Formats: sequence, structure tokens, C-alpha cells
Amino acid sequence: MDLFEQRKIYTVGEITSDIKKTLEKFGLVWIQGEVSNFKHAASGHMYFSLKDEAAQIRAAFFKGSNLYLKFKPADGLEVVVRGRLSVYAPRGDYQLIVEYMEPVGVGSLQLAFEQLKEKLRKEGLFDEERKRRLPVLPRKIGIVTSPTGAAIRDMLRILERRNSALHVLLYPARVQGAEAASEIVAGIRHLNARDDIDVIIVGRGGGSIEDLWAFNDEGVARAIFESAIPVISAVGHEVDFTIADFVADLRAPTPSAAAEQVSGAREQLQAEVQSLAGRAKQAVRLILEKRRLHLQRLAQNRAFLATPTRIQELQQRFDEASLKMMQAMRRFVTQVRHRERVLVTRLVKIDLRGSVGRSREILKGMRQALAAAMRLRLQRVRGALQLGVGRMDAMSPLAILERGYSICRDAGGAILKQAAAVAPGEQVSVKLARGEIGCRVESTTQEGEA
Amino acid sequence: MEAKLKDFETALKALEEIVGRLEAGDLTLDRSMELFEEGVRLSRFCNTKLEEAERKVEVLVKNAKGGMKEEPFEPEAGESGG
Repeated sequence: MDLFEQRKIYTVGEITSDIKKTLEKFGLVWIQGEVSNFKHAASGHMYFSLKDEAAQIRAAFFKGSNLYLKFKPADGLEVVVRGRLSVYAPRGDYQLIVEYMEPVGVGSLQLAFEQLKEKLRKEGLFDEERKRRLPVLPRKIGIVTSPTGAAIRDMLRILERRNSALHVLLYPARVQGAEAASEIVAGIRHLNARDDIDVIIVGRGGGSIEDLWAFNDEGVARAIFESAIPVISAVGHEVDFTIADFVADLRAPTPSAAAEQVSGAREQLQAEVQSLAGRAKQAVRLILEKRRLHLQRLAQNRAFLATPTRIQELQQRFDEASLKMMQAMRRFVTQVRHRERVLVTRLVKIDLRGSVGRSREILKGMRQALAAAMRLRLQRVRGALQLGVGRMDAMSPLAILERGYSICRDAGGAILKQAAAVAPGEQVSVKLARGEIGCRVESTTQEGEA
Repeated sequence: MEAKLKDFETALKALEEIVGRLEAGDLTLDRSMELFEEGVRLSRFCNTKLEEAERKVEVLVKNAKGGMKEEPFEPEAGESGG
């Protein structure tokens, strides 16, 4: 059996060794693919697969070669590697021994982004504790963006629509391209050098990751970090975060949202002040009402009926306080009316049909409620005054006559208090509740003598 | 109290406090009167602050000497986006 004798029989090791030699004939190869099953072993070696839609190949990136890698490879990353094909004999796998790796396309930017993010995070640039509070009531805002971009138009449109009384100062900066980062940095620094800016918005409209790249620049991040003035980042689309977003004191998802943010607080605060003023008025009304009721209870107390001067004194004090209160209320009403006029003027300008009508209704309702409250107060004070007048009446001699008493005067008109003051035959006059009687004294009797 | 009327936030906080004390209602008439007057003054101050900002849009332009000056800004009409 010649055939049998001629046949060459390899051992597994031999054939594997031959395969290895064959594979190594490929020499240095460049391969592009996506990283998957990435493992960074404790030894420092990296093991992963490179794959595309059609196939995959195992790869090993040994410590000595990967030591100077600037980024950390990860699953899903598209890379180009340079290496040699070989065989891992113990498992019979063929694999690529990688000597060099670089990320591909957007992946490279994404990597740089992640790296910078990590670096700045470690330095504490993103720490929430160091973030500045935005001013409650900014008056002048500095905006760093392109004067011809969508961002500034969007922001001004929002401010216009909100009829916001904000002073906007635009620092024109390119927001994409090679010069963008340095111009944005210059803008943030320039606005910081001024003393009239309350808050800075840095932003641009949406775009690709390359378009937004200036906002991932380390210099821009540091300028935001170093800014003494609070910074709002307002970059593009809602989903993309930039490094600037992480460092900024507030991240607005879009330029429009940033404009809402700086102008929105004002309206909210106006409502708040208005509500507080209303509550103060209401509280004072309650205090006054409580006192009035208390006073009324006192007035009805028998003890006071016997001592009219005490009650009168109390009434006078109450009336004085009421009067003072009324004056303050009147000033308050004048002020509220003024605010209302201002608000109505502003509301009229707002281009939102319906809401104007509604706001007017609310204002009208408020004015009516206020007027009603004032009328009620006036009535109460008047009532209190009448009560006082009633007590005064009780003290009046006219009221005493009304009860059947009379006043007797001598011919000279002096009120007679003792009988001895006149002698029989003299003329006296007696005053009754209605009319007078002319009399002649018949006799007199001194009390005690009778 | 007059000296405290420097910034909006302080005034707003003071106003909140005053309203709180008035609402507690356990004050003498004179004291509540004083507080009310102060409250009115504070709310007026707040409103003034809310109104006083200037509505203006300016752009910084480099002048011949290399410095910056402000000029009125009118955004160019154009399409949204970008």
C-alpha cells in the first residue's frame, strides 16, 4: 500500500506550527473593525475581537504595546489596528497580535470627549457644590454666540415674546471651526472683565458632534469654570451634552430654554410679590376685624355702660387706628392700581390671544375684590363711629330730658341746683324735652328741712 | 429698615417675613400697622426692581483702537437652524 506509506502524517503541533508560519507570511496588516468582548486583564494585556458585519477575528494587545495607548478601548468602538496574524496554539485559535490602535472618525472625537470629561470631572470642574446660583433677577445678560446663527435669533424671539425687560449684550463669536473655541473663551473673559453683566449664556444652535466641538474644548470648559459670573450653557439639541454643559452653572437644553430661564423668573417673582402684598393686606384686615369684634364685646359689657368715658376713649383709639389703617390701605390700593396698569400694558403687548383676556379678567376680579374689601372697611369704620355717636347721645342733656327730666333756670338763665337759690315770687323757667314752661315760685323747701 | 432695601432678594425675604408675622396675627394694632407699612414699602421696592431693567439689545463691536464698544443689534433675518 504505497499510498499508505507515502502519506505524511502531521502531529497537531506540527500542523499548527505550519499554519502559524503560513499566517505569519501576511506580515504587518492594517485592519479596521469594531471592538467587541473587550477585556483588560490584570496582567495588563488586552483581549478582544474585531468584527464587522461579515466576520470577526480574535485579537490580543499585549501590555508592552498598549502601555502608551491614550484612550481606553471599549466595546462598540470602531478602530484601526496594525498587527500580525498568529496562532494561539494551546486553543487552536488564530488571532491578531496588535501593535498599534487608533479610533476611527467620530469615535475619535467621542473618545477625546470622554477623556476630557473624565479629566475635568476628576479635577472637580463638574462638582455641583461649586456651581453658582443664578441671579434671581438678572438685569443685563451677556450672550456669547454667533450674531448670524439661529441661537441668537431664537433667544431674542423668546425675550421679545415674554416682553422681558432685559438688557442683552451680545459678544459675537464664531461657534464652529478652528477659531471658535478661542473666540468663545475671549467672549467669556471679556464679559467677566465688565462689571454690569449678571449672567452669561454661551451657546449655539444644534448640529453634528463636529459642529458642536468648540463646546467640548478644554479651554472653553476652563473659561466657564473660571468665570466669576454664572454661566448658562445652551448648546443645540436637547439630547447632546457637551463638556460646556457639565461645567456650566446651569445647562439649558436649547438656546430658547436659556432665554426662558433668564426671563421666566421675573414673571414668577412679579406674581410672588403681588401675592405677598395681597396676603399682607388680608392679614391686616383680619387683625383689624379681630380687634373690632373684641371692642364690640367690650362695648356691650355692662361695666363699660356705667363708665362711658372709658368706652369713648377706646372708641377713639380704635377710630384713630382705623383711620391710619385706611390711609395705608388707600396708599396700597393706589400702588396696586398702578401695578395693575403696568401689567395690563404689558399683557396687551404679549401676543397670546385669550391669555390677555383671562389675565384681564383676573385683574378685574382682583380690583373688584379690593374695592369690595375697602367698602366693607369703610362701612365698619362708619358703624364704629355711629356706635360712638350713640354713646355720646346717651350723655347728652337732651337725651336726659327725653326720659322725663327737666331743667330749671332762674330769671338770669342760670341752672338751679338748690331751692335756696330762689325766693317765692321770683320767675323761673323750666326746660322740657320739647318746649319750656314759665313759672312763679310759690314756696321753697331746702332738702333736709322738710 | 430703610438701609436693608439694597437688593431684591433681601427685600423679598423681608416681605415674606412680614407677611408671615402679620398672618400669625398676634401683634398689637400699632405693631401690625408698622409692619404693614413696611410691607407696602417692600413690595413697592420689589416691583420697582422688577420694572427697572432696561429692554435693550446690543452687540459688542471692535473699534479702531482694538477696544470694544456697544452698538444696537438687529439680528439678520434668516432661516432657523444651524
